Order: sequence, then C-alpha cells, then structure tokens
Amino acid sequence: MHKVEAISFPNAQGLTLFGTLHAPEHATADLPVVVLLSPGVKMRVGPGRLYVPLTEMLLERGFSVLRFDFYGLGDSEGELAETLLADVYNHIEVGRYVDDTQSALAWLRTRGHRRFILGGLCGGAITALLTALREPAVEGLLSLGMTVTLASNAAVPGKYMTRVQLDSRRKRYLKKVISPTAWLRFLSFKSEYSVIWHSMKRLWEPKKPPAPASAAAQQNIEQRGNANPLFPPAYFGFLQRGGHALMLFSERDRLQSEYEEKFAEPFALQLQPFLAQIHKHVIPHANHVMALHEWQREMVDVCRQWTQARYAS
Amino acid sequence: MAEEPFFFSHDRVQLFAMMHTPAAAPHATAFVMSHPFGEEKLWSHRVYVSTARALAARGHAVLRFDFRGAGDSSGLTPDTSLETHLADLRAAVAELRRRLPAVRHVGLIGLRLGASFAALAAEEGVCDGPLVLWEPILDGEAYFQELLRSNLSTQLSVYGKVHETREVLQEKIRAGTPANVDGYEIGKSLFESCARGDLLQPAAKRYGGPTLVVQIVANEKLKEREDLGALAQAYTAGAAARAVEQPFWREIKPFCARASNLERVTVEWLEKLNA
Repeated sequence: MHKVEAISFPNAQGLTLFGTLHAPEHATADLPVVVLLSPGVKMRVGPGRLYVPLTEMLLERGFSVLRFDFYGLGDSEGELAETLLADVYNHIEVGRYVDDTQSALAWLRTRGHRRFILGGLCGGAITALLTALREPAVEGLLSLGMTVTLASNAAVPGKYMTRVQLDSRRKRYLKKVISPTAWLRFLSFKSEYSVIWHSMKRLWEPKKPPAPASAAAQQNIEQRGNANPLFPPAYFGFLQRGGHALMLFSERDRLQSEYEEKFAEPFALQLQPFLAQIHKHVIPHANHVMALHEWQREMVDVCRQWTQARYAS
Repeated sequence: MAEEPFFFSHDRVQLFAMMHTPAAAPHATAFVMSHPFGEEKLWSHRVYVSTARALAARGHAVLRFDFRGAGDSSGLTPDTSLETHLADLRAAVAELRRRLPAVRHVGLIGLRLGASFAALAAEEGVCDGPLVLWEPILDGEAYFQELLRSNLSTQLSVYGKVHETREVLQEKIRAGTPANVDGYEIGKSLFESCARGDLLQPAAKRYGGPTLVVQIVANEKLKEREDLGALAQAYTAGAAARAVEQPFWREIKPFCARASNLERVTVEWLEKLNA
C-alpha cells in the first residue's frame, strides 16, 4: 500500500500551493521523482482523474509522485485576473507557472530529492518543458498532448488550423450539406464562415511544398502563425543537454497535428540528431483528455514502457 | 484564516479534505461543502474555494472534501452509489466536529448533484445547521440522461457516428458494464440509486433547519423554476432565491474564479439567519 500525504509549500511570491505527495510502498532511492503538472485550469488530478491511474502505475514502479495546484487554481492561494479561459491558457503557454514548478522542485529538494521527471497534459506539458530549460536536474519529460501553439485559435477560427484539422472539418461540412439545420445555421449567421472558407479553399489551392527545414529557425513569429516561439528553443535546449522525452498524443486532438505541422515538419533537420531521445506515440481515436478508459490504459501502458526502458528496476 | 489539507479515513477509503478555519475563534455554525459529479466538480472547484474563503472570512469554519472516487480521494467512480455519497458526507461532518469540538451546528452547501446529496443527507439527520442547495438536481433520471448524452458526443466526435445509443448504454450499466462520461465511469450502483425521476422530490421534508434553494440563471429574464420554488416550500424553514451567474460548472468561455452573485445571495441569507 503506498503512502499519500497532503502537502503545501510556498511559491516565489509567498503564496501557499497545495498538493499531494505519493510515495511507493518500496521506494527505490536512485529513481527521480515524477511531478505531474496541472493542465489548463483543471486541478491536480486532471480531467477525468487522468493522473490517478498514471500515479498508480508510477508508484508500482517505485517512483514518488507529486501533484500540486498552481497559484490561482485548484486549492492553492492567489487569484487570476483573466476573465476569459483562452487568456488563462495563453499565459500558461508562455510560462506563467514555471516559477511555481521551480518552487515545487525546491520544496522536493528540502525532502532530499535531487532528480526529476516533469510531466503533464497540455498546459502541464508545456510548463514542464519550459521549466526543464531552467532546471538541469529535470532529466525526463512525460508529455501528454504537448501544445506547440498559443491559444489564439478561439479568437481567429480557421486562420491557424492545421491541414489535418481543416480537412477533418471539411469532411464534416460536406456530410451536412443536405442538413436543413446546418443550412439554417449558415443562413442565420451562426456558422464559422472563416473555418468553412479555409477548409474549402484547400480543395483548389495548389499544395505548397514544405518549407526547407533549415529555414524554419529563421522564420519570425509572424511567419510561423500561432506557433509558440518559446517551444523550439526550450525543446532543443532540453534535448541538447541529454534530456529524454515521451511525446504522447491523442489522434483526434488538434495538438497532434499542430506538433507535426507547426514543429516536427519545419524543424525536421534540427530534430534529426535527437530522435533517439524522443519516443513519440499516438493513441488511435483518442480525444484531447483521453476520456475513454481504453485510451487511459494505453497512455498508462506507454508511460510504463517508457519508464521501464529508461529506469529498469 | 488558516487552510489545512489532510486525509481522513472511513469505511476503508481515504478522503481528501481541506479545512478553512477563521483567524479568530470560529462561529458556532460551520459548513461542509458537497461537490457536484464528474467534470462539474473540476469546473466549479474555484467557486467552492472562493465561497469557503468568503465564509471563513466571516467567521465560519468550512470543510471541503472529495467524495470517494473523486478528486484526490481513494476509490473509483463505479464503486460509488447514493449510499456511499451519503456515508461520505456523514463522515465529513463527523470529521469536522472531531477537529473543531466547539462547533455547535454544521450546515451543508452543495451544487447540482452535490446539492441533492446534501439535501438527502439532511433528511437522514447528517446536519443540524443551514442547508444551502445551489441548483439542485431534482430529476436524477433526466440528469443522468444528460450525462449519457456526453458519451454520445464523444462517440460522434471520435468515430463520426454513435455506436451505442443511450438505451444500449443504460442496458449495459444495468448489466454491470459502466458507461464512460468524460473519463468518469458510471456504474450500476450509482445509476440505479441516483438516476431516478424522484431523486429529490419537492414533497414535505423532515429536515427542519433553515434551508435556502438557489436557482442559478444566466440572466434575470429567465423564468423562475417552479420546481425549485416548490422544493423550498417543502421545508418548514425553506427560502428560495435566484442568482445570476454563468453556468460555471461546465466549460464556458469565461474563466469563473468566483460566483460573486451566488456568494452574495448565500452570505446575505446566512447573515439574516445570524441576525
């Protein structure tokens, strides 16, 4: 039976952050601690308690696990000023909670821990990566649905969608072409015209050759659309110092096609030397939060295999 | 004000709780908050936190906790039922009394299905203080149909069509195969005990303590719900109120860190009681 304790620690601003520390029944001294970071505005167990089965598996394998709430979220102190969810997401994607994560690592150091794996879903994943850039003791990244863009899709629908997203939308629109309800929405100005336009436009637009990989790094922020400018330097910085990453995605999640089209394709050349450090896995059919338990099980299995490969017990 | 997180055990489960204690000696009346089901718990979490802090700032101790199979507590959703939720509420009230022996009355505050659990627990004598029901679920059958609709939406978005209708899902649940709703598995015991049209009837109630039933409306123009009014009248000391709030218990565009109108309506009613 593993041990769980309710814990709290201060962040850099003196706000108290709350969480739970889970210790395995048989601790293995040389294993890093896994810190699971909250996704978006959801609290430390994740949507659908996604982090619960993941924590159970990690405990079985001898890892200790910390889950905690960032300031202004979950049980923790502090208030967020934003009134829109998309704005909260945007601030997370540019590193709002890196300081809190560093505070968590500082607190773990006071308990004698020296090595860390950071993980999380979506906002938790990007926070993990941005923290890893500042914390050399982070040796592993357990990323569930890494976000490589900024949450501006909601503000300008269609403009920044990936090819996969636009093609999927077009298929849905074509299926609805004989639906009176769909036409009613279209004629009453309730449709997302920008998305419809961009998705249909792909039918007659000539296919653009992929940009030369070497050019990607030179593109400025505007040229790269809504791509998060902080992601490539953080990822390459982490890989260059020998970090290992599990990049797990859900097939029916835009984050997967965004990673491919907005990062992996344009940076293919730069990624080449690091491919052995990256294990990528896509869960077929799964949605963003891996709601069905078969998807959760697959996520847990892949994480188990990754930890077995890296940390044979 | 102090905030202390802890686990407490009962019935072979470990429940996570957070105690909000006022800076000065606590008021004689304290509260236990009963959270809603599934993702509604996560979306409404910050409103629970801000309400607990607002009450603690007014001198009330407040215990928030996670039911078994939810949040940080142990257990899995398919193992829960109406009975386990009521047992957990009873244990949370007992834990609050054990930690704060000076507290004389314990009230309950709940939202949606959490409010229904609170009301049903009150009928069993779990509390003896103010009972606050925010948008309680009266018709459990309709509520669970709404939850299963979410399963159909997942099927549609993932597979492009519905493989299992709600009828099929219900049959499977009754046969012992849980149905997944946004990552939470609804099992036979929860479904059969809560998916009932008469989950919370607006009929005469045994509970005699002060009770507030709050209808949450997105704008003032929306009609008053007669069933909630009738529920308030079913209590000997019942009152009905309305609070204008966006449905913060589901994903909406605004970020709802607090529900100021709901909090004000609740606090003003409590202050009137104290006066």
